[in-house]
Amino acid sequence: MSAPASQGATPARAVIASAVPLLAATVLAICVVAWAAVPMRDAHPGARPVLVVAVACAWLAILRLGAAMFASRSGVAFREPSLAEWTRSALHAFPWAEIMTVAVLALEALHPSRPWHTAALGVVVLAFLLVLHLAESGARPAVLRPVLPLIAAGLALAALSVLAATLSASGGLVALIAASAAVAVAVLALPV
Amino acid sequence: MLTAGPERTVTVAWRLSGHARRLVTLALAALFLAVLTRRAEFAGLAAPALLLLIPRRSALPPEIGVGLAAEADQVTEGERAAILVKITEQRDATVHVRLRPEAWITAGAAALGADGWYRLPFLAQRWGQRLVGTLEVTLHDRWRLAEGRVTVMLPRIACLPRPARLESLIVLSKLPARLGEHAARAPGEGVEFAGVREFVPGDRQRRINWPATTRRGSLQLNTFAAERAQVTVIVLDVSIDLGPAGFSTADLAGRAAAGAAAAYLAARDRVGLISFGQQLRWLSPATGRRQAERIMAMIALDSPDGEPLGSVTRLPNAALPPGALIIVVSPLLNMRLIEALRELRERGFATIVIDVLRTEPDVGLRGRRNRAMALLARRIWRMEQDAIRFSLRELGIPVVSWDGMSSLDEPLAAYTRRALVNQP
Repeated sequence: MSAPASQGATPARAVIASAVPLLAATVLAICVVAWAAVPMRDAHPGARPVLVVAVACAWLAILRLGAAMFASRSGVAFREPSLAEWTRSALHAFPWAEIMTVAVLALEALHPSRPWHTAALGVVVLAFLLVLHLAESGARPAVLRPVLPLIAAGLALAALSVLAATLSASGGLVALIAASAAVAVAVLALPV
Repeated sequence: MLTAGPERTVTVAWRLSGHARRLVTLALAALFLAVLTRRAEFAGLAAPALLLLIPRRSALPPEIGVGLAAEADQVTEGERAAILVKITEQRDATVHVRLRPEAWITAGAAALGADGWYRLPFLAQRWGQRLVGTLEVTLHDRWRLAEGRVTVMLPRIACLPRPARLESLIVLSKLPARLGEHAARAPGEGVEFAGVREFVPGDRQRRINWPATTRRGSLQLNTFAAERAQVTVIVLDVSIDLGPAGFSTADLAGRAAAGAAAAYLAARDRVGLISFGQQLRWLSPATGRRQAERIMAMIALDSPDGEPLGSVTRLPNAALPPGALIIVVSPLLNMRLIEALRELRERGFATIVIDVLRTEPDVGLRGRRNRAMALLARRIWRMEQDAIRFSLRELGIPVVSWDGMSSLDEPLAAYTRRALVNQP
């Protein structure tokens, strides 16, 4: 018994097309964690457990993504609830990508100040989140075209912040700006 | 022809999308670290995520219109069909449609057609009147920061059983005096050669067998078998359902009954059906395509009509014309039916049972300590089943076993080679 094939693409091409975002997300997750971790010898002693959490959450986020993509492809009749089903529901119990993001930022913060390194981490984390979203929703990269100016502006602001950090701006001013921005984020995240 | 169903307006529940939640997490974590560590680069790290969250307040449709249609009113097992969905009033939100199927179907990927209808294909794999599943519509705003979800319950669809293959028919030795396609024992005007006899005045001269006449020295005549129609009544027992979905006793019984009805109707026989389910329902024997449709509908569709099974003491006379062949498709688990079969045999009906029991019941005993008890219980159950089948055979009711996969011709082969004697 075979599932009805989707119109247009052949099954093999559809599988490859769905595997590309998963592969890209995996590579970016590895890059994010590795970039935040190195060099470990300069890091605070508390960085090791945070690294373990980041690695675990990265893998769980990728597994969750793969499980969701697999589940959307298999609607086979008379499927018995199995260990795979249980694992899939367990994977959906926690937001692993969000936990990984927090862990990676904490890992970066446990290293000595290195503004350009942190800015590059921000770019990779953002790329990971965008690819994760594309893979999760099955959307094409073209859907991000309207937000490209915003991403460019954000990256420019990040570069400015790196300059400010390099020029040793006042810590109090940074704290004030950051707190104001946090309030803005909270307002934006209020329910629709 | 596709017909659009009534379009309904559904309220959309909007919330932050997973993408937006992750951006919020990134921005808040970075800003918190910026405050905590007084490092400006963390505030900069939050900037792209913060900017991506700004355009969230776009006009989101509070409601959307959902139009539903089905490619066909009813499908047959193993047949591909599709549910058609049209989404309207979604403004500039992008729409993703998905079918969450019930266990009896295999769902395919949704595809948007040029006419604006989404086509949700599925493969029906179990007969009956069943729910298809739920329609899940996910909407995203232009910035993909808000996510709206709508769930619509899809209506029931009637799925007819896939008829089991049956090519050789069981024919009774004595057939009713009704013109048909089965060669009877009585001589008549058919085309099947029956023998040679002495010519008597009044016989048709074109039937004289000249070689036999030459050998015997007197006029000899070819005789032919009369062609008669048979009355077949199928008793479908779905009162007890046992076994895995798709291959349960009821699934197999429905397919066997559909296959037998189709084969006998194709041979221009009169076919009736007695459905022995939660209620006793029957169709009097008749011929033709309309009867085939009625039989399939009675097998597949639930109906509150009929007599409650508890009040039934014998099978209805109206559904059992004298001289009919009775084909019973049953797992032989319902003692009421077994008693009815004994009574049928006593009334002189030629009866044959197709046994569709392929599984054994779970005795409900677990653990090493109960293992011996479970084995014993199963053994007793098997012996009871063997005894039931033995008693039926002793009464002159043949019981054949069908696995649900092969053709019905295989188990019935012993009874299709020669006419079945229908006198006790």
